[in-house]
Amino acid sequence: MRTPVTAPEHVAGEAAGAQRPPRRLPFWVDQRLGLLVLTVALAALFGVLRPAFLDQRLVLFPLLREISTLTVVALAQLAVLSVGHMNLAVGRMAAFGALFAGLGYDRLHLPLQLGLLVCLFAGAVIGGLTGWIIARTGVSSFVVTLAMDFALMGLVSLLYSALTENAAFTTRPSGLLDLRSASLADICVGRVCGSPAVPQMAQFTVLALVGLGFLYTRTRMGRELLLTGANPKAAELSGIPTGRRVILAHSLSGLLAALAGFMAAVSTGTFRASIGDDFMLPSFLGAVLGGTLLTGGVVCVVGALLGTSLVAVIRKGLDLLGVGLESLNIYLGCVLLLALSADRVRAVVSYRKVVRST
Amino acid sequence: MRPPTRSVLSGVAAAVLLAAPAACTIKNSGADTGTRAPATGKSGTGSAELADGSGVKVALVPGGAHPYFQPWKAAGAAAKKEYGLGGVTFDETAEWDQQKQDNLLSTLAARGYNAFGVFGVSPTDINTTFEDLRSQGFAVASLASCPAGPTDKADFCLSTDVEVAAYKAARAAIDAMGGKGTLVHLTGNNVDANTQLRIKGVAKAVKETGGKVRLLQTITDVDKDLQTAQKAVSDLLAAKGDRIQGIVTTAYNPAVAAADAVRSSGSAAKVVAIDDDAKILGAIKDGSVAATVVQNPVGQAEVGTWALALLQTKQCAMRHPGQTVDSGSFVVTKANAGTYDAARKARTEQLKKEFADTLLVCE
Repeated sequence: MRTPVTAPEHVAGEAAGAQRPPRRLPFWVDQRLGLLVLTVALAALFGVLRPAFLDQRLVLFPLLREISTLTVVALAQLAVLSVGHMNLAVGRMAAFGALFAGLGYDRLHLPLQLGLLVCLFAGAVIGGLTGWIIARTGVSSFVVTLAMDFALMGLVSLLYSALTENAAFTTRPSGLLDLRSASLADICVGRVCGSPAVPQMAQFTVLALVGLGFLYTRTRMGRELLLTGANPKAAELSGIPTGRRVILAHSLSGLLAALAGFMAAVSTGTFRASIGDDFMLPSFLGAVLGGTLLTGGVVCVVGALLGTSLVAVIRKGLDLLGVGLESLNIYLGCVLLLALSADRVRAVVSYRKVVRST
Repeated sequence: MRPPTRSVLSGVAAAVLLAAPAACTIKNSGADTGTRAPATGKSGTGSAELADGSGVKVALVPGGAHPYFQPWKAAGAAAKKEYGLGGVTFDETAEWDQQKQDNLLSTLAARGYNAFGVFGVSPTDINTTFEDLRSQGFAVASLASCPAGPTDKADFCLSTDVEVAAYKAARAAIDAMGGKGTLVHLTGNNVDANTQLRIKGVAKAVKETGGKVRLLQTITDVDKDLQTAQKAVSDLLAAKGDRIQGIVTTAYNPAVAAADAVRSSGSAAKVVAIDDDAKILGAIKDGSVAATVVQNPVGQAEVGTWALALLQTKQCAMRHPGQTVDSGSFVVTKANAGTYDAARKARTEQLKKEFADTLLVCE
């Protein structure tokens, strides 16, 4: 689902300068395949070095739960990157959405699903407001979302302090703890049950991936978002209401950030102000590693999942190898650089082979 | 509230242990133990002697990197040697993120660690983590911080009573100010349950003065790093320095920053710091800090590791699971700067005795 604004079946770089008739590249040149191979290879390597890596309950389940949450965070960033913007308030929007869910459960005793809807609505509204400010004022998304980050940091902190005793909503609606710990092993068809390694919470991630994938590859709205990101002037001259598309992209980003906030709260057990504190870096990392361009116009929805998975697998593997704090991030950076350089070499060699053979 | 099933199970377990006098006795440290080594045997206190700790691997997991936890590393290693444990690790890679800490704990479990001393990143969430670990048969201690609220799902919590420590610090500051004037409180993350307790402790001490001392301001969120704390303190002194007679700090970075700022600006404000970093001890000796409230991280790691080993080997059980034990806090001034460590070591020995005598029920 890497979706450039032009010629969806091609990578953007080729499409830009191509005078020749469109030609489909072989599947092995695809960056997503590279990321998938890298992730699987590293998982296998860690599995050989530490067989405990393949422990479904203690390692794979928490790993996949983390990947599920951080992929949604990456998708929240991807939504605004598609229009050439960025969302520096992605973590605070997550906290803002989670605040409303927590408030709903604590004060209004809402059921789990209704609280989730309130959370998503709050996220979409705050995202939409951010988009509206950007569209109306023309101020860069960097500045507006940075300002929004500061504003929400204060507001969320203030509200938690005013509304709760311990700066967190600890009321847990029925089903929350089940959602936290349930895996596909709890779902059986006849005698066949799913894997205990796959958390049921991944359903939200799959829904988000399918929804965004459909939006960007199958709908006119998605193409308009990408065109707005690739060239706003051209998009405007083509009759696309770019202002509304910007608001839509930011609403979507807010909604997905709130979903990630909800997932993070479910993962740890309570709705608290510090949710989303560490979301900003993974949001860019997952999206950009996966092939989404910072300049807009090209997104890769599945790539966000693969990019996030690669980083999470490396970190989990290093944890299992017992790498200490002093060296953890050095190793993480080095393995990531090596892995991506190797993938880049593979992609270039494959591409040249294809060019020579035609 | 603890789920009824666990309460029932814990109660039944405790009742069975108590009702079997031949097999299980509470051994008092002062009692004659016959040919057995007294108390913890090798430690010389209590009688809850660890028979075989080789199957116990203890993980000491702080919320993230912080100078406060550094003594845990050496104390854990010493406990491993002293009690012959299968392993002790100190892992500070949780990076102050509850989800990362949860993942780290499960990774450590996969690596074979079966007893956990944890400083929970989020006091409101950590009970869920403790429940997870205990449901898998691991012994769990909440070290240096207890879960928020009345319930603790760990086997025990061995921590500084933060409200009492903050109260002691504020009292020390008020005494240094001569019992009157204006006080400022510098502390950590406002949306942390422990910060709220510290604020309560300081407010209580101020209230006791009957209006003679006024709390001018409580500045929160200045423990992120030293730079943030330095900026907050210099802004404070620039804006209100002439009106401040006392500064009480209940977090590490603002304590160091306040000590430096008062020394360099020549302010007359009396500073009460926290912990016994070399900088703070130096400041106490040169008079720029009036007092500091030190905690007992070595005792937390040492006694915590020992008690965890006893629990994990099923040699002992907690009489009241989830019990909170104060690891101690001590006011250090220029007068006792050279001798306070002896008091702290004595408190650690007393803690062991307390565990052996009253908190644990051993076979």
